[in-house]
Amino acid sequence: MNTVIIKNIFRSTTTLCMRSQKSINTAAACIVKRDFHTTKPTQDLMEFFDAKKNWPETNIRVGRAWKLDELRLKSNTDLHKLWYVLLKERNMLYTMEHECNERVRLFPNPERIDKVEESMNNIESVIRERNIAYYKLETGETGERPVKDVINLIGMPEKYQPSEYDTPKFMNTRWVRPYLKHGFINSLAVKKFRRLYNEKIHSEVRKAHNRDFNHVQHLLKRFPNLDMDTLKAEYPNVDIEKAKRTKKSRGHFMPTY
Amino acid sequence: MRIYGYLAKKVGDLTIKYSNFPESYVKKSYEQVYWKTPAGYPQYKKAQVARKKYRFTTNRPWTGQFRQQNEPGTLRKKVFVEPIRDWTFFRGDRVEVMVGKDKGKQGIVSQVIQERNWVIVEGLNTHLRVVGKDKNFPGITIQSEAPLLVTSDVKLVDPESLKATDVEWRYTEEGDKVRVSLASSRIIPIPKTAEETIDYKSKELYIDNIEKDTTADAATKITFAPKLRTFEMDIMEEMGIKEDRVPAKSYWY
Repeated sequence: MNTVIIKNIFRSTTTLCMRSQKSINTAAACIVKRDFHTTKPTQDLMEFFDAKKNWPETNIRVGRAWKLDELRLKSNTDLHKLWYVLLKERNMLYTMEHECNERVRLFPNPERIDKVEESMNNIESVIRERNIAYYKLETGETGERPVKDVINLIGMPEKYQPSEYDTPKFMNTRWVRPYLKHGFINSLAVKKFRRLYNEKIHSEVRKAHNRDFNHVQHLLKRFPNLDMDTLKAEYPNVDIEKAKRTKKSRGHFMPTY
Repeated sequence: MRIYGYLAKKVGDLTIKYSNFPESYVKKSYEQVYWKTPAGYPQYKKAQVARKKYRFTTNRPWTGQFRQQNEPGTLRKKVFVEPIRDWTFFRGDRVEVMVGKDKGKQGIVSQVIQERNWVIVEGLNTHLRVVGKDKNFPGITIQSEAPLLVTSDVKLVDPESLKATDVEWRYTEEGDKVRVSLASSRIIPIPKTAEETIDYKSKELYIDNIEKDTTADAATKITFAPKLRTFEMDIMEEMGIKEDRVPAKSYWY
């Protein structure tokens, strides 16, 4: 019986708008109304589509996504149910979007998809948090798939995700040992690649620094009442004292700084 | 190769709050990605060729007019925006105009455009523009407000003395961050209209969509009881699923 009631509450609920204390009366009325839900939930393929009365609408008003803190209050059963409610809503939204594109119509409120995605990502984060807490308490490791930072054959940092096997490493003849054993290959081609790649990165860093320095000079030139602390916070890599001494940063005013 | 982080600090917080859209949607709505490296190929690093420089205007970033003004291929001169750490102006604030022909007059802020440090005050700093002028038609004259710079053109008004003052953010004894006028040390509260968004004028006035929305009560109700179970174990217990099989030993490498 309990599950049925909870199902009713979550049946068509996906998103929420936080309201103040004043709204409790109206909220209570809503719950009552939901128990006497007038639109029949169709148990067929039409659930892939929105309710027919929403089809001609150009603006379907829907609340915001579920926040992490709100989801942390919920039990695992509630999260489990909410996930499927959101999944169905997501499928419905994608179906409607596809249909609207097919018929060259405007799909109303496409931000609904983003809200559902955000809610689902948040649910996943909360569930992962809870599982990691359990595993760390009981075993000392997170129960998730291990990720190792390795340097691959061409010297680039990579995240290696070990796979699951039924035989141990020394017995497994079919497993091709990747870069884990060999590491960085010391060949002419790899060295050339590293040289060019490092040059590229160095060039990007230098250009970004020059860009920021130039920008700071222009800001100093244009804004006489610039706050140095704010500037330092926005552009931490720029030597502001050096920028102040340049000709480009001189504005048509007496500097107060 | 353009880096993703570039789009991160473009749109102001207040713009996203006003839109009532998720941040990812706002970014998607105005970004112009011309090409992306194909996904699912480990040999191609994640990169994209996208537009980096946008001209932010009085049109909001998710509108069609913004897209028209920032059409692919349009290059505009760079606009320098003074970096401000704590934003002090909100919708519904009473401000005094310090420059222009409406100098000295006080008005209420109707729009805040954080990307340009702009504030549009109702009825002040206006100009007339003629729309739809034809050979036979004289055109419609519209009085439209011009934006004012937050740093120099506009100042907040002290609530009791009704004079323009400089404002600082300070903490009260309770720990709330408030705006304090430097001339009289009076607190200038953030107006109620500041919480207005496109969807609702204030949070109390929002009417839930009964079919789609969860009410505040249902959402804040605590159903979580900490148990020494994983998510999967908890669900299995609730649903009465029994799993007696012991998984075979596996090796990860």
